[in-house]
Amino acid sequence: MIHIEDVHKRYKTDHGMGRWVLQGITLTIPARTNVGLIGVNGAGKSTLLRIIGGMDFPNKGRVVRQCRVSWPMGQGGLEGTLTGRQNAKFVCRVHGRQDDLADRLAFVQGFSELGEAFDEPIKTYSTGMRARLQFALSLAFDFDVYISDEVTAAGDAAFRKKTAAAFRDMADRAGLIMVAHDEGTLKQFCQAGIWINEGKAHWFDRIDDALRAYRETIPK
Amino acid sequence: MRSPLSVTVAVWRAIFLREALDRLFRERGAWFWLLIEPLTHIGFLAFLWGVMRRTEMGGMDVVVWLMVGMLAFFLFRRTGVQVMYSVDCNRPLFVYRQVKPFDTAIVRGGLEAFILVFESMIIITIVNLLGRDAIPGDPLLVLGAAGGLWLFGMGYGLITSVLMELVPELEHIFKILMLPLYMISGVIWPLASIPLPYRDYLMVNPVAHGIEAVRLGFLSHYHATPGVSLWYLYGCATVSLFLGLLLYRRYVLRLVMQ
Repeated sequence: MIHIEDVHKRYKTDHGMGRWVLQGITLTIPARTNVGLIGVNGAGKSTLLRIIGGMDFPNKGRVVRQCRVSWPMGQGGLEGTLTGRQNAKFVCRVHGRQDDLADRLAFVQGFSELGEAFDEPIKTYSTGMRARLQFALSLAFDFDVYISDEVTAAGDAAFRKKTAAAFRDMADRAGLIMVAHDEGTLKQFCQAGIWINEGKAHWFDRIDDALRAYRETIPK
Repeated sequence: MRSPLSVTVAVWRAIFLREALDRLFRERGAWFWLLIEPLTHIGFLAFLWGVMRRTEMGGMDVVVWLMVGMLAFFLFRRTGVQVMYSVDCNRPLFVYRQVKPFDTAIVRGGLEAFILVFESMIIITIVNLLGRDAIPGDPLLVLGAAGGLWLFGMGYGLITSVLMELVPELEHIFKILMLPLYMISGVIWPLASIPLPYRDYLMVNPVAHGIEAVRLGFLSHYHATPGVSLWYLYGCATVSLFLGLLLYRRYVLRLVMQ
């Protein structure tokens, strides 16, 4: 269960505080539910997702997580001067996996298909290689809820196929909160939907209803 | 579920290993330059004092005097600077919810002390092999004074890292500040040589107390600047440390929020 209580958020800009992106969002996301976040660009989908994941903090209100929530999939922080392996070790250690470090590393190296590049500094990686490492890192741990912000489009065709399979597998096994602009993806993975409009969130038990509500506000 | 303590310990361990790699192997021979920097400083200033025909300072061999002063000052300065940038340099890591800004600060400070202990032992050995008498007569006093300098460096770093985040322009001032502090802390020339009302003004600086106390620990009959007090150093260190922690507590969200 994730409780979101009266969350307000605005960002600091170069000229003072910006507009309120989220204005009083109160939601309870049940365990093992796959939820899609829907809204126009700039509605605050990614902001809400980051706040749920604990990467960012609300100006007012709070989020209570009663389960293990992942960081946004494929967006894990990497240190450019360190190698892929060293970064993976860091993430494993932070998540308390010192004991089965070797297993986790083997999984990350295998899944990311980086081969020898796994021992090269991250700054030498291409965008695709980075994305593969980050996706492998996200899958290396068992979370109760995964959060995902437009992740399914990383890497080349073969890798995309593999990530899609892994993603489906993961969505069956754990909860998922995702942002995607492609309706097909949302319908495929999510049962419930949250429509974010003008700083407020509306919960729909069925993703189709959420998509319908969203479409009705788009000017024809 | 892991307990909060075990999470913190795991995070500290992970950051320590990561920072150590970064500090010692970031560029080719980074560890070599860490060692060479204080050595050239000491060598160059020893040469300058040598040109001026000065062989001892307050009863202490001038090379040993410089070495002790430099290492003590570097302990404060490098801890302070490393901690000051700890939040900035680890920003990508705050994506992992377990990593808090304070963790990076304390681990960086600890790592710097760790590195400097090794560096100091090597440099002291080198100076001894060169025939100077650089064995601490009172090791406990050396450790006590060094500990005070480290704590004050931690406090300074904690305070400045938060202030820098709140007012980014302050970074320039903090950068400039270190040079005059180096000059007035009695590292490269003796504070005891300054006439009276002014010397007391300079002794407001707790770093000067720490440096003189470390020298006293090396040579008990060293003529230290009058008024040296470890109590004063530790008092300043405690106040700055708690002020820094208070700022962290108050502004912790501001440090990682976007």
